Amino acid sequence: MWKRKFNKWQRTLAPYFFIAPGFLFYMMVTFIPAIIGIWLSFTDWDIISPEAKFIGLKNYVNMLNDERFWTAIHNTVTYALGLIPGIVVFSLAIALLLNSKIKNITFFRTLFYLPVITPIAVASVIWIWIYHPRIGIMNWVIGLFGFDRINWLENPETVMISLIIMGIWLSVGARMIIYLAALQGIPRSYYEAAEIDGAGKWQCFWYITLPLLKPTTLFIVITTTIGSFGVFAQVNIMTQGGPVDRSLVLVYYIFQRAFSDLRMGYAAAMSVFLFVVTLVITLINWKLLGKDVTYE
Amino acid sequence: MLLMNKIRELFQAFHEKRLTSINISKIFVYLALIIGGILMMLPFFWMSLGAFKPVKEIMVFPPTFLPENPTLQNFVEVFERIPFVRYYLNTIFVTVIPTIVTVSTATLAGFGFAKYKFWGDKVLFWLILATMMIPYPVTIVPLYIMAFKAGLVDTYAGLIVVGLSSAFGIFLMRQFIINIPDDLLDAARIDGCSEFRIFFQIILPLTKPALVTLTLFTFTGHWNAYIWPLMIVSSDRLKTLSLAIPMFQGQYVYNPNLVFAASLMSLLPTIILFIFGQRYFVEGITLSGIKE
Repeated sequence: MWKRKFNKWQRTLAPYFFIAPGFLFYMMVTFIPAIIGIWLSFTDWDIISPEAKFIGLKNYVNMLNDERFWTAIHNTVTYALGLIPGIVVFSLAIALLLNSKIKNITFFRTLFYLPVITPIAVASVIWIWIYHPRIGIMNWVIGLFGFDRINWLENPETVMISLIIMGIWLSVGARMIIYLAALQGIPRSYYEAAEIDGAGKWQCFWYITLPLLKPTTLFIVITTTIGSFGVFAQVNIMTQGGPVDRSLVLVYYIFQRAFSDLRMGYAAAMSVFLFVVTLVITLINWKLLGKDVTYE
Repeated sequence: MLLMNKIRELFQAFHEKRLTSINISKIFVYLALIIGGILMMLPFFWMSLGAFKPVKEIMVFPPTFLPENPTLQNFVEVFERIPFVRYYLNTIFVTVIPTIVTVSTATLAGFGFAKYKFWGDKVLFWLILATMMIPYPVTIVPLYIMAFKAGLVDTYAGLIVVGLSSAFGIFLMRQFIINIPDDLLDAARIDGCSEFRIFFQIILPLTKPALVTLTLFTFTGHWNAYIWPLMIVSSDRLKTLSLAIPMFQGQYVYNPNLVFAASLMSLLPTIILFIFGQRYFVEGITLSGIKE
C-alpha cells in the first residue's frame, strides 16, 4: 500500500527532477539575461554606480542618431550580403560533388569540415598571417593569377572582403553537410522517372534538385544571416574594427560601448535592436518554411 | 594514398581506352574536389609546416611549404616564453567540467521531455526552443553583469558557470530517447523499477551513440570558446588557449614560426577528436541542422 503510493508520487515528480538542472541552468544563461538586457536598455547604467536610472527611450534615440551605429549596421549588412551567396554557392557545389557517387566521401568531407571545428581564435591568428602583406599566402595565391600584392587587412577597400573570404572558409563545411543530407534524402525514383521522360542531367538539377532543396537553402540563408550578424571574434583579433571603422561590425561596437566606455544601457539597447532584427528574420523563416516541400 | 590509386586507375583506363563519358565526368568531379580540398587545407598545411621551420625560412616570399631544415625548436621556445602548460591545463579544466555537466543535465532533461507527460511539459520545451532564437550578443552583456554581481569575474567558476546546460543537447537527447519504445519502460515499472533506475539501467545504455555525439559537440564548443573567456578573464593565470594564442601573436609579431607552433598544439585535440568521431559529428549536424 505505502509502496504503491510512493511509486505513484515518484512517477509524478520524477520528470521535474530530470528536467530541473538542465532547464534552470539554461534559463539562467539565456532567458534571465535577455530580460535583464531589455530592462537595461531603458537605463543609463555604467556598472560602477550602485543604481541604474530609468531614462526611457533615450538610448534608442541616441542610437538612431549615432553615426557610428549606422556605420556598424552598414558594415554588418555588407558582411552578411557577401557571406550568404558565397556560403550557399560553395556549400551546394561541394555537396553536389560529394553526392555524385564517388568513393572517399568521408575523406573529402573531413577536409571541408575541419575549419568548422578549429578554434576561432586560432583561425583568426593563422589568417592574420595568410593576409600578411609581405609573406602571406593569400598574396601568393592571387599572384598565381597575375594580381599584385595587397595589404589585405590594412587597406580600407579590402578589409571587408578579407573577412568575408575567411568567413566562407570557416563555415562552408557546416552548411555543406546539411545540403548533403538533404540531397541524400531526395528519392532516386524522381531522377529515374525524369530520365525515362528524356530529361538530361542539367534539367534534372534545375527542375528536381533545386526546387527540392529550397527549404534547405532557406534554412542555410537564415542561419548564415543570423551567424553573420554575430560576427565578432575575428574582427576583435584581426582588425579591431579598423582601418577607419571599415570593419566596425555591430557586435564589436556593442562590446566597445559596453566594456570600453561602460555604457551598459546603450550597449543593451543596440543588443535589443539586434534581437528584434533576428526575430523578424526568424519569423519570415517560419512563414516561408510553412510551405514545406514534401516528397510524398 | 587512396587518391593516388584513384588517379593511377584513371590513367590506366585512359591508356586502355576504357574511358567513357562517365569516367570523364568522374575525373572532373575528383579534380574539382581535389582543388577545393587543397584550397581549404592550405591554411592548415602552411601553418603546420611553418611550425617546424626556423624563422628565416618562413619570412620569405613566395612562401615555401616543406621545411628545408625541420626543427622542433619552435615548440621548445613556446614552452620557454609563455606558461603554455598552464594555459593548456586551464583549457582542459574549463572544457572537461562543463562537458561532463552539460552531457548529464541535457540527457536527464531530454529523457524527461521525451518520456513523461507532466504539467507544463509543452510550455517548458517550447520555452527552451524559443530561447535558442535569442542571439548571443543580447545575453552576453547582462550575463557579464550577473557574473560581476555574483563576484565571479576572473574566476574559474565564472568561466564554467555559463556552460552547464545546452538547448542543443536537450533537443538532441530528446529526439534520440523518444524513439526508445515505451513498452521497455513499462515492463521495468511492472517489475518494480524506480524512475531513476529506469534512467540509469535502461535509457543510459541505449543512448550511447547520442551521448558520444553530444560529448564531442560540447567538448569542441567549450575548447573553442572565445567570447565568454575574453570577457570574464583578466588575469594571466586563468587564460585559456583561445585567449593566449592571440596574445602570443601580439607579442611575437615577427615570429610566425612560434605562433604557428603554439596554434598547432592548441587545435590538435579537437582535430583528433573529429577525425576519430566524425560519424557522430555528421549525425549530430544532420539531426539538428544546427551548428554555432
